[in-house]
Amino acid sequence: MKKFSAMIATLFVLIMSGGAIGANSGENSFQLKCAACHSIGGGDQIGPDLMGVTKRRDPNWLSQWIIHPDKMLNEKDPIAMELLKKYNQVPMPNLGVTEAEARDLIDYIAAQSETQKKDSAVPAQQTTQEPPSAGVFFGGLKGVQLTALVVFFVLSTIVVFVFWQIAKSTRQPVPTIDMKSAYKLRKWFFFGTAVLVFGTLIATLPKTPYPDDFQTPDRLVYVAAKQFGFSFSSEPITSASDAGQSTIINSLELPQGALIEFRVTSLDVNHGFALYDADHSIIAQTQAMPGYTNRLRVRFPKPGTYQILCLEYCGLAHHLMHAAVTVR
Amino acid sequence: MNLAHKNTLNWIMVTFVLFIVLLLAGMFMRIIQANMFSSAQSWFYPMMTLHGVGMAGLWWVASIACASRVLSRYTAPSECVSRFALYGTVLGVLFLLASVFLGQFAAGWYFLYPLPFKGGWPTWATLSFLLSITILGATWLVWILDLLRSIAKKYTIGQALGWHYILGKTGPDVPPAVLITAVSLIAGVACLLSGVVVLLFFYYEMLTGVANDALLMKNLTFLFGHLLVNLSLYLAVAAVYDVFPSYTGRPWPSNKIVAISWNSVLVIVLLAYFHHLYMDFVQPTYFQYVGQIASYMSSIPAAVVTVFGAIALVYRAPVRWSLGFTLMFFGLMGWGIGGIGAVIDSTIAVNSKLHNTLWVPAHFHTYMIEGLVLMVLGYFYHYCQEKTKLQENLYFQKIIAALILVGGYGFLLMFYLSGAHSIPRRFAVYPADLSSGAQLSGIALIFISIFLLGLVLYIYETGRRWVKSLDV
Ligand code: HEC
Ligand code: HEM
Ligand SMILES: [Cu+2]
Ligand SMILES: [Cu+2]
Repeated sequence: MKKFSAMIATLFVLIMSGGAIGANSGENSFQLKCAACHSIGGGDQIGPDLMGVTKRRDPNWLSQWIIHPDKMLNEKDPIAMELLKKYNQVPMPNLGVTEAEARDLIDYIAAQSETQKKDSAVPAQQTTQEPPSAGVFFGGLKGVQLTALVVFFVLSTIVVFVFWQIAKSTRQPVPTIDMKSAYKLRKWFFFGTAVLVFGTLIATLPKTPYPDDFQTPDRLVYVAAKQFGFSFSSEPITSASDAGQSTIINSLELPQGALIEFRVTSLDVNHGFALYDADHSIIAQTQAMPGYTNRLRVRFPKPGTYQILCLEYCGLAHHLMHAAVTVR
Repeated sequence: MNLAHKNTLNWIMVTFVLFIVLLLAGMFMRIIQANMFSSAQSWFYPMMTLHGVGMAGLWWVASIACASRVLSRYTAPSECVSRFALYGTVLGVLFLLASVFLGQFAAGWYFLYPLPFKGGWPTWATLSFLLSITILGATWLVWILDLLRSIAKKYTIGQALGWHYILGKTGPDVPPAVLITAVSLIAGVACLLSGVVVLLFFYYEMLTGVANDALLMKNLTFLFGHLLVNLSLYLAVAAVYDVFPSYTGRPWPSNKIVAISWNSVLVIVLLAYFHHLYMDFVQPTYFQYVGQIASYMSSIPAAVVTVFGAIALVYRAPVRWSLGFTLMFFGLMGWGIGGIGAVIDSTIAVNSKLHNTLWVPAHFHTYMIEGLVLMVLGYFYHYCQEKTKLQENLYFQKIIAALILVGGYGFLLMFYLSGAHSIPRRFAVYPADLSSGAQLSGIALIFISIFLLGLVLYIYETGRRWVKSLDV
């Protein structure tokens, strides 16, 4: 468990520091397409640690592998098969890497391996794992989530209570009950339920998260999801080739309180786009669907770092697909 | 032994075996999520797929098996078709097992387009999975069409749906079980047909390379998935309607209210599926509102008519709390509680915070494990007990029910709490920020073990009767 959190933390630190260093196309592609499964010097993730891989492998093999791993696995390339076996039979997916991109990636991995070697004296930062406590059940709950849980507990308790009373009543059986009064009770029950249902409908239906045309957002952010990462841009990204050309924003920074519109799409399968606040609570979300653009409007209430997680299952590294926004 | 009895015994055995196996797959997922078996992590998603498709399919066939047994008291479903359905189901499951175990196919239980094509597993694994679903879908379509045929032989459509009660006309007495089954099976045809269309689109793309529309595919997929799960429940409820009177000694006939309620269910259940697409903002907003209204409405017939009716039937009745009746009674309660969790999540404003968190598995596992499963297991016990009339040790049976309830609700509570804590569903490993997810998984494991113990004792208690009824 500790080891795992350390790994995730390292990955996280790597990605964050990667974002801070700034633009370089090899690095961009690495963060977008590889970082979900590989680290450079941070230990094995889903795939092997790529530190020094450029020395370990034949350059030709390496670029072939990065461009179409699926083909090499199909052709039963011996090195590929051995790696596949070692990494729990999880095949590396074809990530649509072009030849030029592969060259940049290899340069980046080689350079990164060198710097890592020099820095290896610096230990990876660790998050401290809090011991389990009662807080794990109810600690930190708030907002809509807390309300939902409370309403659920209250209504369920009523249901349990009623069933329990009914079960107990069978201890004093009577041959027949007065159906007339039962029907009368049912009428009241019907009205009660109807009032509850319609009241809640009227109260909640206006509170939908769908964008309207009355307000213009202060800022547009285009988001393209792809197995297993997000890329952000101030220009539309609708295909893999756009992703190569548009200026990708490396570390996304947004103003507090402004109306931000995220235009979210996907370049491959369905993904999710969920914003988590500093308390690790979802504040808003939408789907990232190939061929469509969902417009999600948010005002960030407080400054700080907001995590973005993919909430639609998108493949073997789904749980590693994430990004972050800094709000100032 | 007659064929009808043999068929029912076969379905009971298949249910017991598959339930245990798939439950262990569920337990495996919780173990991985608790970070207790990291080396097997890469099996999480294949197991999730097996568990999801397996359980959804298993309880669908188990409840059709109950409904067909109940129907045979009033109509004459073909036992040969039921036998055929058993073979078809087994064949489909074999293809499923091949794709998951040999091909590590892992697109999740509703295999949302286009993931099956882009997951990194071999193409033959995808094909084997699609073939599996095709075989299952086609088999079940034949089965439910035969059940509908048997109803149509005795009643007109209007009568089977109880329209003469609604219009106040004279007509034959239609037992509620027949009425509910008719409603569910008609919607079931729509369900399986939408599944067939999804599959055809998949095959078309495989053959021609022409890409499909992701939004259309998602709508069709959820029309199929939503109906499959909901109709399974209704069919089990039909069985409960049918056997409750024999325990309470009071009749539970069809009447105007029952007919109105189940006819409205037919419409509502077809419209409620829109709640699966709330977070697809490009879906016409009009559909989103229809989704919430239909989801809310579905609670009225369920709570006011069925649950209330059941309660009135049991209130101060001279009931013997045998295992069969106890499970069915608490099955109705679980259906209600799961329904509350579902209606809360079907509120668009709430869904924006709970969509694809563990709240979703929380509510559907509630009406499955503590609803549908209890009703079906209760009915199976009832069936075997009727055949054998063995002595019942009510004290022992109470312990079984208590283990199943405590274990089940404890397990579910961890899902609900995780959902409220924004822990995502379908995460093999939780990020360090959300480590409470892993801790809650660990606690869930204790409750799963309790549930499993209860289940094993239940199978012992029912299995004894099953074995004995081989000779009747
Ligand atoms: C879904 C996870 C995943 C992603 C994303 C991914 N890989 Fe891999 N990678 C793997 C796995 C797993 C292996 C081991 C071989 C196998 O099992 O197929 C691997 C192997 C490799 C190897 C061979 C390592 C060695 O020791 O020889 C290289 C190089 C590599 N990946 C580079 C990349 C690059 C560059 C990217 C981004 C364009 C990338 N990978 C994206 C999972 C992934
Ligand atoms: C005690 C028994 C069970 C256990 C321990 C169990 C456990 C689990 C777990 C851990 C998950 C994954 C949750 C996640 O998304 O992270 C899951 C998913 C699921 N379960 Fe169960 N489950 C049980 C019974 C059932 C039953 C009876 C059904 C009946 C329909 C069912 C249907 C499903 C489905 C459809 C999924 C979703 C799979 C997917 O996301 O693709 N489960 N279950
Ligand atoms: Cu994703
Ligand atoms: Cu994902």
